[in-house]
Amino acid sequence: MTIEMFEKPLGMRDDFPLITKQKAVLRKQGTELIERAGYELLQTPTLEYYETIGKISAISDDALFKLLDSQGKTLVLRPDMTSPIARVAASKLLREKMPIRLGYYSNVFRAQKREGGRPAEFEQMGVELIGDDSLYADAEVISLAWDILKELGIGSARIVIGHTRLLGLILADFGLDAEQSGKVRELFVAKNGVGVEQLAEELPIPEGKLASFLKLMQATTVADWKLWINEENEEQRELYRDMERLEELLGRNGLGDAITFDISFSSHMTYYTGLVFEFYGAGSGFPLGSGGRYDGLMEQFGLQVGATGFGLRVDRLLESISAKEAEEPHTLILFDEHSEQDAFDKAQQLRASGKRVTMQYAPAVKALEPFTALFTEVIRGEELQNG
Amino acid sequence: MDELTIAMPKGRIFEEAYELLVGAGYDLPKELDDSRKLIVEAPNEKFRFILAKPMDVPTYVEHGVADIGIAGKDVLLEHDRDVHELLDLGISACYIATAGLPDTEMDEVTPRIATKYPAVASHYYRSKGEQVEIIELNGSIELAPLIGLSDRIVDIVSTGRTLKDNGLVEYEKIADITSRLIANPVSYRLKQRRITEMVDKLREQVGR
Repeated sequence: MTIEMFEKPLGMRDDFPLITKQKAVLRKQGTELIERAGYELLQTPTLEYYETIGKISAISDDALFKLLDSQGKTLVLRPDMTSPIARVAASKLLREKMPIRLGYYSNVFRAQKREGGRPAEFEQMGVELIGDDSLYADAEVISLAWDILKELGIGSARIVIGHTRLLGLILADFGLDAEQSGKVRELFVAKNGVGVEQLAEELPIPEGKLASFLKLMQATTVADWKLWINEENEEQRELYRDMERLEELLGRNGLGDAITFDISFSSHMTYYTGLVFEFYGAGSGFPLGSGGRYDGLMEQFGLQVGATGFGLRVDRLLESISAKEAEEPHTLILFDEHSEQDAFDKAQQLRASGKRVTMQYAPAVKALEPFTALFTEVIRGEELQNG
Repeated sequence: MDELTIAMPKGRIFEEAYELLVGAGYDLPKELDDSRKLIVEAPNEKFRFILAKPMDVPTYVEHGVADIGIAGKDVLLEHDRDVHELLDLGISACYIATAGLPDTEMDEVTPRIATKYPAVASHYYRSKGEQVEIIELNGSIELAPLIGLSDRIVDIVSTGRTLKDNGLVEYEKIADITSRLIANPVSYRLKQRRITEMVDKLREQVGR
């Protein structure tokens, strides 16, 4: 089958100048906030080993772009940023500096199954706070993500928070084994209420507890969670207190109204072990980003430390940002052989004063009218000579 | 009150869903489906209905141009869309089954299966470890075995009348189908109160 001249591999896109520009602005706004919060930006390789990052990343195998290096080793295009950063943090260089705050703005790659669909390469912006297992670290990254969303002007932004570990304990209290919990979680990830109701009939849930089990998907505040907390279980009690404190902390930072505490909220990213969260905003039909606590991931690199972080998807942020951007002033100076020197001087002078100036040799332009229409101001060489 | 955009399939499911919504106490205009309009407003409830092909409803909802929608489970099974399945409405009940000419065996090597649901059919036969060739058709699936195009068909059965009229018999049932209330994941979070309220009201109606 021949490949058409304009075709690109599945899920790949050209970013036209307008998008590139919007992305640059967004990147600047976001990374500035990240740096101001004390995070250092870093860059990791585009290619990684399948055996390490590929497997650890928790991105499903068929979404990985795989290729072979010259020694026959399988490589992947990095599918996420959290696992490479975990590796960097666990390296000798940085492990003595814990807790360490790292930020990134990078493209990641996830192969798409359907034609004409989602991008297979997209940028992510985020942070990882490694070496701190307190809930203050969680509150810090959530607040930072929130600040970025606000700075970018995302409308009706919302955060949904769940807790993987606490949910696991609660499900165990309903008498479910690991496999059954797994099934329930899968349905929770998809918010498949119908599926949960159907599955509940097959599960060994005591008669009297069924109603409370079916309510798991309805919680919106930490107080709602109380229903399922077994006060005799110390770990549950502790985690619940943590959630109460987190709610209070975030409330004090002004996020109170924007948070939904949903105990059934789960992530398909299996490395999250504690708190998990996701961000939404008007304008995009897809979540803007997500994050959570992934202490287990650090263990894979031989470190027993806590870690938490978030990643925001730049393409969806762009969708969600209201299209504002009044036309930016852009001056065109048209010159010919005689006016070249004047035009050049004028352009340099305007550029030095911060203006955006394009210089163009007039006879080289085939259709002058549509070309000049692209600019907000047009200066002709002859005007400069006369002036 | 947030405005809710609701994607609805045209035709029979629309009428049944309309009855459910009215029964749940929603104040809807009398003749919604009569017009040829594709977008109909119900200003009293701040609803906007998008009237769509049944197969397209999950697509609208996945992309968030509709907050919620009503879609058959058959469509949800066929297209693996990223939507929340909130409630089984129990309307337009039917099932997906395999059918073929009576007393026939499937071809031993690669039986051919004609269907409007290639993903469902392929998943079903793969889960049984059978190697089949799927032939995708857009309508009159029953024709396929009659003219020797396929050994079996995989299709929706509601009364079984069409099968019978064409001299076909049902072999295996694959899945029960009813219409579901689905929601876009982001809308579900941004308009959670309105949406869960609707789920509760409809649940009461369905339970009756």
